[in-house]
Amino acid sequence: MKILQKTNLEAYEKAKRLGSKKTVELIKKKGLTGRGGGGFPTGLKWEFALKSKGERFLIVNADEGEPGTFKDKFIIENNPELLAEGILIACHTLSIKEAYIYLRGEYNYLKDRLERAIKNLVKKTKAKSDIKIVSGAGAYVCGDETAIIQSIEGKRGQPYIKPPYPTDAGLWEKPTVINNVETLANIPLLLLDNDWNNNLRLFSLSGNIEKPGVYEIETGTNLKYILDMVKPKNRIKAVYFGCSGGCIPVKDIKMEKESVARCGCMLGCSSLIFVDEKQSIVDMATNIAKFFEYESCGKCTPCREGTMRVLNLLQEISLGNATKKDLQTLEELTYFVRDCSLCGLGQSSMNHLITALNFFRKEFEERCR
Amino acid sequence: MKKEIVLSLLEKLQKKDSYISENSLKKLALKHNIPLAELYGVATFYHMLHTEKQGRNIIRICNSPSCYVNGSLNLIKDIENMLKIKSGETTKDRKFSLHICSCIGCCDKAPAMMINDKVYGNLTKEKLRKILR
Repeated sequence: MKILQKTNLEAYEKAKRLGSKKTVELIKKKGLTGRGGGGFPTGLKWEFALKSKGERFLIVNADEGEPGTFKDKFIIENNPELLAEGILIACHTLSIKEAYIYLRGEYNYLKDRLERAIKNLVKKTKAKSDIKIVSGAGAYVCGDETAIIQSIEGKRGQPYIKPPYPTDAGLWEKPTVINNVETLANIPLLLLDNDWNNNLRLFSLSGNIEKPGVYEIETGTNLKYILDMVKPKNRIKAVYFGCSGGCIPVKDIKMEKESVARCGCMLGCSSLIFVDEKQSIVDMATNIAKFFEYESCGKCTPCREGTMRVLNLLQEISLGNATKKDLQTLEELTYFVRDCSLCGLGQSSMNHLITALNFFRKEFEERCR
Repeated sequence: MKKEIVLSLLEKLQKKDSYISENSLKKLALKHNIPLAELYGVATFYHMLHTEKQGRNIIRICNSPSCYVNGSLNLIKDIENMLKIKSGETTKDRKFSLHICSCIGCCDKAPAMMINDKVYGNLTKEKLRKILR
């Protein structure tokens, strides 16, 4: 796997030689895009930060909370040096003196390993940047960049409306670059490797399969090919793109942003959860609805109340107490929550249901009176 | 560093007593000159911080899709029976508290759970019995 490559500070030295402008140019030219799910061009983000004035911060988003995702954990566990080098390059290129790694609380056991890797590289490079690890404490919504800022500032981790964008006014109102772990780990690789390819991604594959794990696959790979690799236990009925990305029936489809979007889904951070025919889609929907109801931060009404109402309706449907009219109400609610919620959590919380009602409607209708 | 990370301070309290007591929160508020209501708001926001007394060991069992399709619901029932508590409760001897949680990023070892900071994966009823003994 490319992501396991040891770069031994060669990329850091190269970035130093190139200087800020040329490094950012190179990242832009190679086309690195954010790996946290948003897919924003990293070079552009860095350029915005470079243009901002005054003290700057870096936040490394290691709050990998999307169910079915464990690729960042894989990097921190198996090649923390690569991530550390990416962080040092970011700090050097953007003249950042303070960086925060927001590591989710559930990954506390990785803290020591990561800390050691960073200390080692800081010592070797004599870099002047102060890199701290901040532990999250269990909040899915803190994967949102504005929520992370609030959390590090010591507030409830609730998102706020952009603009201002973090690169203009982020942490403590100062320009802040927020990058995902996989994004930063790719910086050394793209600087050194001439054949570096932005399409090569880490896929987190799990569910009813014999061979779950992190796979390095090109985006655009056919779902059927991936399915062969992971050895399903039974016939696979649906694939979920985490909890927030929606679901599709297994078919001939390329695993790339555009094709997935055409099905009403989001590929996001390339997490695929394979669900076999023994599972009921209605029960899946109820499980995921529960997740969103539990994780909704409560700030905006559509998400706070909507996720709760949707869960209630789904529970009634699973118990066989609901009517066809309830199903109609449920469907209306999904669009309302999607369109009116403040942040990505609420907006994407209904994808699973909208797509399930599209592809597996019969299962819902069968449970209604 | 000009500002203490409040979250880290709260985590220290959580680690020390397995929960954040009203008293310790008051002390923290005074020491750092933060309104108590604000601190309480933060402490109750995060699922891994507890403002109610917990057992010495906190079990978090995952019920997100990857674990769910691999039978987490049955395991939750098994634990509840073994410990004779429901999710959100603490055993009489204060050894364990049980919480159903969101994805812990161990989907390749589903179904999985954590006890304090340690992960236990590919769980079965048999394994649970050994772990909780």
